[in-house]
Amino acid sequence: MYLTNGLVMGVINAISAIGVSLIVGIMRVVNFAHGELYIFAGYFSYQLSTVLGLPPMLSMVLAVIIVFLAGLVVERTLIRPTYGDEMYSLIITFMLSIILQNAALLIFGPYPTKPPALVSGATNLLGLFHYGNQRLLSFFLALAVLGLVMYLIRSTWFGKSMRAVSQDRGMAAMVGVDHLRVNMISFGLGSALAATAGVIIAPIFPVTPTGSAAVSLTAFVVVVLGGMGSLKGCVVGGLILGIIENLGAAYISTDYRQVFGFLILIGVLVMRPWGLFGQRT
Amino acid sequence: MRLVGLALIIGGAVLPPFVLNQYWLHVAIISLFYVMMASSWNLIAGYTGQVSFAHAAFAGVGAYASGMLALYAGVHPAVGVMAGTLLAGILGAALGGLCIRMGGIYLSLTTLGFSEILRIIITNEEQWTRGTMGLQVPGLFTHYSKTSYYFLFLGVALALLLLMRWILNSDMGLAFRAVLNDELAAATSGIHTVRVRLLAFTVSSAMAGMAGALYGHYLMLITPDIPSLGQMFLVLAMAVIGGMGSFAGPIVGAFVLEVLSEYIRIYGEYHVLLFGLVALVIARFAPEGIAGVASRSGWKR
Amino acid sequence: MLLEGLELAKSFGGLTALRGVSFQLSPREVVGLIGPNGSGKTTLFNLISGVFPPDAGKVFLEREEITGLKPYQICRKGIGRTFQIVRPFLKMTCLENVLVGMVGTSGGNGPRQARQEQAMAELKFVGLSQWANRMAGDLTLIQKKQLEMARALATRPKVLLLDEVLAGLNPSEVLQALELIEEVRTRRGITVFWVEHVMGAIMKACDRVIVLDQGQKISEGSPEEVVSDPAVIRAYLGESDA
Repeated sequence: MYLTNGLVMGVINAISAIGVSLIVGIMRVVNFAHGELYIFAGYFSYQLSTVLGLPPMLSMVLAVIIVFLAGLVVERTLIRPTYGDEMYSLIITFMLSIILQNAALLIFGPYPTKPPALVSGATNLLGLFHYGNQRLLSFFLALAVLGLVMYLIRSTWFGKSMRAVSQDRGMAAMVGVDHLRVNMISFGLGSALAATAGVIIAPIFPVTPTGSAAVSLTAFVVVVLGGMGSLKGCVVGGLILGIIENLGAAYISTDYRQVFGFLILIGVLVMRPWGLFGQRT
Repeated sequence: MRLVGLALIIGGAVLPPFVLNQYWLHVAIISLFYVMMASSWNLIAGYTGQVSFAHAAFAGVGAYASGMLALYAGVHPAVGVMAGTLLAGILGAALGGLCIRMGGIYLSLTTLGFSEILRIIITNEEQWTRGTMGLQVPGLFTHYSKTSYYFLFLGVALALLLLMRWILNSDMGLAFRAVLNDELAAATSGIHTVRVRLLAFTVSSAMAGMAGALYGHYLMLITPDIPSLGQMFLVLAMAVIGGMGSFAGPIVGAFVLEVLSEYIRIYGEYHVLLFGLVALVIARFAPEGIAGVASRSGWKR
Repeated sequence: MLLEGLELAKSFGGLTALRGVSFQLSPREVVGLIGPNGSGKTTLFNLISGVFPPDAGKVFLEREEITGLKPYQICRKGIGRTFQIVRPFLKMTCLENVLVGMVGTSGGNGPRQARQEQAMAELKFVGLSQWANRMAGDLTLIQKKQLEMARALATRPKVLLLDEVLAGLNPSEVLQALELIEEVRTRRGITVFWVEHVMGAIMKACDRVIVLDQGQKISEGSPEEVVSDPAVIRAYLGESDA
């Protein structure tokens, strides 16, 4: 049961992590506001479906699109001028995350909100135990998104441009890739992925403004564990973390649940900074 | 001209307990706490380029260590403060050592992880720390007096600032800034970069520890809010808005933001949001902060 | 013999950057290091200055092994360097830039006044006296290169590694730089090991030239000898074919 929870969380973590990895790999910027985008998407999804009465699936998609656009704007105005100065982009996204977090508190209030589930009931899994249908659905949705993203990056022209820019910006520019635009869209995509993870999870675990820090940190741990710049790493890392956190919380201690992630983070950074699949620089 | 300026500063420093009411004196004391925090953070972030998110956590270490020693071991708070400072310095050196081979992003993430681990441990070990309910600890003076605390904080803040000034004007200061500008070039120019980074971390976290310990004994109630990321953000905002990499910047930032937040609090808890926005704008458009802008228009630095 | 490298090898992942490269430098020599792009020149410099250790091989300075030492240790032993993409301390003044070079090394002890004078002397040597109190970030490209040189010289090196120092300079600036390099050798007695693509300069200024191609040394000798060596011609022409 915990293992399955771990798997579900794992896949969602993976999506979230790819969002971060994308931005880091291509722009060398760590998006601290990642968690806040995730949360906002959850809230938008809720607002759209409950307040406006749109069908849940549609609200989810719309929420993601809104965040994507917001991401584009943020990149253009805030991040672009800080190229090459790692310290400032760090500080700026950190500021952004605090601003968004407080804005969410003010706008949405501190209470957890939960958009309606798409499906209900439970299925008997392999005859071993019952597992929530919504969770199962989320799992498959997440897998689908993951597959889509991997396809996008592997096979489309845009995906290839992104990989080119992340490997060698100068060469990519010479070959005719508009690296500024790639940056902007990458940031948008990264945000959109955060949003996707958020809307998929929201029907299961309600969103609160204070939860955003945990989300960002989880994503960072996954990216570091899997290796910055490696998609495969995000998936594997996400799964490993999801499983370890859930098993750890179940069998060792729930209070210290988050500590596992941090210990992994620090451990990896100290001993093997390029993670499982990253490139040794 | 200089004498007038000096007189103003001395007057500004000495007068408050006599002209301000208890509330604003309290604000002054809190501002001095933040002056210590923002300036010491500037030492690692503004002067050696290591953006650490663990600073508030070290203040927490100082506060809890000192408070618990005073409460459970009956030690005089002054000794507790020393112990807290020492512990924070040691942990700072450890963290700095952990991060030695890391740059920018990785370093910041590691400090973030470290900070959160500390905070979670503090919050969870309730039997010792009383978790979120807060730990009640004795004050530093047998007769509680804001005036005494004010002068204590003033004295310590000045001492710490003088220490920083001395370090920065020395050869080590040159080394610090070299590492900030370009670590590889510094190394190939003969700078022992590892020692520079470790020293910055140790000194800066020890200062945070001292500030935190004093703060804890002043409030006489220590909560996990002290080592929180929210506090970290405030300190960061003060340094950024005031001007990172300049000496006066964090001092200005601390006073300005603390006083402002008191005014804003009248309307509601908007100050974090507001500071965040201002800091964002400044980081984006005027990275040298208030102090930088002021020095460019010809004021005395 | 001043600086010696013995069978140095270095790989990055699957890519072999250097393979069994050996060399020797004598005092007061100006030795050029040339080769097509990707032949391993900067990697060799990085190995010598300690940016990373070699996978195999050793480096000796005045018969003392310095393989695998940290950059600051190697600098203190007497090897200075400049970088392909110039790296002065932008947010510090020129004088401070040079002072940093002295802080880390033996030039660093002694009263403040004396050190300031020494630093000013270095700035004068490269021709930047008037810019002593200006921010390095305000300098033009050639001035930044001069500053880097001054900073490296302040570390009292026995060997100076110059990495493509002429890149981006116009012809008159190139002449200026060549003069400076010659002064470094004659007036300061420093050996110069010099990676460069500007062939004309190499021909004029170097006593000896070493040629690398794909991580291996393929030729060595006087500039004239090297330029007429068929192996060298093949390496360069072969590259422009692709």
